[in-house]
Amino acid sequence: NGAVFSKVRGSQSGQDSTRWHVVRKFLGLISSHNIPVYLIDPLILGLVGKDIEQIRSSPDGPSPECKYFCAPRDFTTFALLDKTWKHEVGLFRTAEKMGFQWLKIINKDPRLDGMDDLSGVEIPLHYIFKLASHAIHLVVFYERSGNYLWHGPLRLKQHMDRKFVPFRKLHFGRYPGAYVKPELLLVSIDDLKVQIPKNPSSFLEEMSHSRFLECRYREARAFFQLYPDDASPDAVEFRKKAKSLLHLAALTLDNLGVKFWLSSGTCLGWYRQCNVIPHSKDVDLGVFITDYKADIIPAFQKAGLPLKHKFGKVEDSLELSFQGEDDVKLDIFFFYEEDDHIWNGGTQAKSGKKFKYLFPKFTLCWTEFVELKVHVPCETLQYVEANYGPDWKVPVKTWDWKSSPSNVQYNGVWPVDEWDDVIQIF
Amino acid sequence: MDEWKPNPVVKPHKKRSWYLAWKYKLMNQRALRKLCQTGAVLFLLVTVIVNIKLILDTRRAAYEEEEESAQDYDDEMLNVEAPRHPVSNKKVLDVEVYSSRSKVYVAVDGTTVLEDEAREQGRGIHVIVLNQATGHVMAKRVFDTYSPHEDEAMVLFLNMIARGRILIFTIKDEGSFHLKDTAKNVLKSLGSQVAPFLSWRDMWTFVGKKGGEVYGEKHAKSPALSTWGDPVLLKTEVHLTSVEDAECHWPDTDVNPRRKRFCSKVEGYGSVCSCKDPTPIEFNPDPLKDNKVFDVPVAVIAGNRPNYLYRMLRSLLSAQGVNPQMITVFIDGYYEEPMDVVELFGLSGIQHTPISIKNARVSQHYKASLTATFNLFPDAKFAVVLEEDLDISVDFFSFLSQSIHLLEEDESLYCISAWNDQGYEHTAEDPSLLYRVETMPGLGWVLRKSLYKDELEPKWPTPEKLWDWDMWMRMPEQRKGRECIIPDISRSYHFGIVGLNMNGYFHEAYFKKHKFNTVPNVQLKNVESLRKDAYETEIHRLLGEAEVLDHSKNPCEDSFVPDTEGKVYVMFIRMEQEADFTTWTQLAKCLHIWDLDVRGNHKGLWRLFRKKNHFLVVGVPASPYSSKKPSSVTPIYMEPPAKEEGAVA
Repeated sequence: NGAVFSKVRGSQSGQDSTRWHVVRKFLGLISSHNIPVYLIDPLILGLVGKDIEQIRSSPDGPSPECKYFCAPRDFTTFALLDKTWKHEVGLFRTAEKMGFQWLKIINKDPRLDGMDDLSGVEIPLHYIFKLASHAIHLVVFYERSGNYLWHGPLRLKQHMDRKFVPFRKLHFGRYPGAYVKPELLLVSIDDLKVQIPKNPSSFLEEMSHSRFLECRYREARAFFQLYPDDASPDAVEFRKKAKSLLHLAALTLDNLGVKFWLSSGTCLGWYRQCNVIPHSKDVDLGVFITDYKADIIPAFQKAGLPLKHKFGKVEDSLELSFQGEDDVKLDIFFFYEEDDHIWNGGTQAKSGKKFKYLFPKFTLCWTEFVELKVHVPCETLQYVEANYGPDWKVPVKTWDWKSSPSNVQYNGVWPVDEWDDVIQIF
Repeated sequence: MDEWKPNPVVKPHKKRSWYLAWKYKLMNQRALRKLCQTGAVLFLLVTVIVNIKLILDTRRAAYEEEEESAQDYDDEMLNVEAPRHPVSNKKVLDVEVYSSRSKVYVAVDGTTVLEDEAREQGRGIHVIVLNQATGHVMAKRVFDTYSPHEDEAMVLFLNMIARGRILIFTIKDEGSFHLKDTAKNVLKSLGSQVAPFLSWRDMWTFVGKKGGEVYGEKHAKSPALSTWGDPVLLKTEVHLTSVEDAECHWPDTDVNPRRKRFCSKVEGYGSVCSCKDPTPIEFNPDPLKDNKVFDVPVAVIAGNRPNYLYRMLRSLLSAQGVNPQMITVFIDGYYEEPMDVVELFGLSGIQHTPISIKNARVSQHYKASLTATFNLFPDAKFAVVLEEDLDISVDFFSFLSQSIHLLEEDESLYCISAWNDQGYEHTAEDPSLLYRVETMPGLGWVLRKSLYKDELEPKWPTPEKLWDWDMWMRMPEQRKGRECIIPDISRSYHFGIVGLNMNGYFHEAYFKKHKFNTVPNVQLKNVESLRKDAYETEIHRLLGEAEVLDHSKNPCEDSFVPDTEGKVYVMFIRMEQEADFTTWTQLAKCLHIWDLDVRGNHKGLWRLFRKKNHFLVVGVPASPYSSKKPSSVTPIYMEPPAKEEGAVA
């Protein structure tokens, strides 16, 4: 069918068919080395997403026209799972023979970053294969602890050719990113057999907020130099419980599709020491009130975490607290977005007093914490400083949630007739 | 920094070594010293002035050197991308070699590549191998040829060196006492005229090309038995050849670039660098059917014993079912040569900045390696842990593949180990047999991720605690009554004779005669009977069929066990309570098995082989299996040696 198709393609402009040809050559190159890649190009996946039903239903049918791979663009982006290939040098030799120029971008391995004094070999993060006026951007994905895929940022080293391709136009590499392992689908697009994420539109959605923040391991090490870690049996035990509670909470909320992030002390622990603070007594999560679902409470109960107390209501200052194993408690604070700030509420059970904690606006990033892929505010420093003040780096063992936080405001008192509803203790 | 890099800016170094050489001459020449002692006041004054100048200059030189080396370090750190082999356009190397009683040094183009003035070590013949094209140091060894057999090691080493390499020799203290004729002839064949006549406390330096010209030789005879020869300083020039001439022309394959790189850098690995018929560096052993451990990461814990690591990785990569992509070598320290070995085999290696000292250092290195392994392979439920001084059996992965499900399913298990502490040539027999033991043998073992992450990692001994990691893991607080699965015949062999807790004598006594499986594809039997409850049934069955030995005989005598094959025998020893190993230890001693602490026991029962018969030892009354003892039998009691004797020993 190539002949038929090439006629049609002949009617396309030279530029368009160049892109198709380069992609075809690249796919030939990697299949000759048995390297499984999949398409993650946002532009093409966008086009593919619109026609996905049709593409799924006719996996082998010839294409009447070059609809996707001829679309105007500078790059075509593919993903490669690191563990599925062996870094054979042969690939690059063949690539050169085929006329490709290639560039490899390496950097240190983040999986070893958290570790004292290990220096691994640097790992490849991105490859660019250039042929004629088109280039293939191959993003290398790594599996990391927490069952997710990670890709690194693209940073050029000093001696590298800054004009090799228009780097600023790349869709991946501005920041590192975190993704779930995608289910793949083998399809035929424009007469090229290629793997794509099974659901292109949800992949694109995921891509739009995939930014990943690495924990600040170096600063955490410096912190532990100043304040040696507590390795007492109690601390070890608490951390273990907090970790499993967090895993359970993440599983429960993920199943409900409720987005959450590390908040308060748990967030501080991540940011300051890349670990659970052993003298904190609970695990704190934040959820936007717009993501609230009534199923949350029964879901946690089903997971073996009974509701301990519920303060506030959906319209105002909602806060849920669940009882974990032994004395470890899970607090979920709901956040309310205003024009220029975000806040969550607090309630004192005995007096009905209300408190408000103010935060500058923030967006969410992925990070890895206790072998879990979780959200944290991208603007973590502002978030932590709002909550704990400029001295957040100094550990404090006595903490009063009503007065210690630097962003707390008195917010009146609940009307007594509402108490039964907004102050529920179990 | 083993590697020497040709450095165009050598002035300060050169100055320094010139002064040093002068200084040694001044201080050591007896005639001069005598003259000084008896000389005129004027001469003394001159000497004083000269010395002051010398001190000032040496100080300045030392300063300059410090600055220089700091800069080197920076360069290394910043310029990670810089090629490791700067190509020298220089054609001639200045070589200085110094030999004396208390100090040796070798300087190449003003850079000191060997300097040893430590007291009471480094005795013998120091050998340095340089690349004839680049001048890089490719190997550095010292053979204490004052002691027996070291000359044989030297001959072995020299024979492995490729033709054309530049060899530098120098003696520190004494190097002739056990330098036999074979070794002397090898040195002679390299062009040394002095070597055949080297004698007691002679000083000697020699520079030559293997299979080629001699660049210089100097010798100072010892005048009397009680004194040493005068220090000698040899200064000579070596002409470099072209890089082309220094390399072999191996076929252009995917793996040969690794070989080429390795062989241009280091020496002493024999046929791997042979031009004509190099030994393979890819092994492609048969894959394993239904391999359950193909995706299990393998962590190789290494120090700075690159020759060991080389041997170890060869055997590992030759084992059936090996998956090289899952192997990571963790090197304790920034050593180049172990990393070169890792790269030769196309594996990935990670270096670990040493923290803490000795045992604690090993322990911290273990922790970092294990954590990194589970970070790099987040899907893994297990990790195989190996050390650089182990040979790996051809069916190592087959053994694990058949047993690993037990570790996943049976929570009463602590580990699977390839090593049987009691599995000696004369006490192990059945490659298909496995045991449950209460001790943790290490030496090639499988660790469960949950055990590491949930229990061990959070409370791993901190650097200030000078604990052995394995001793710590054996403590009841960690082991919590769990057991390890081991084979009767070990799937690893401990060949290391130099190490932190190891020496030749110790190795000979406890490790050399260990049995090591060489049969491929052994089908393990009764794997399911290794589960906690099933194992008890199995033991009871075994004890039920076992023949009780004659307890009136001496258990140490060979005749204690009848001359049969394939039978099961049982003996009962006294064991008052769970921790009473008095008789066991004596029995272990006379059976020539591991007796330094208690190993291989399961509820007061030991299982081994004697004369090809299964031999069971039950401790009475502590063992729950004591009920199997016929009432007529009195458990054997063996007394520990008397206290005084122990004190003398």
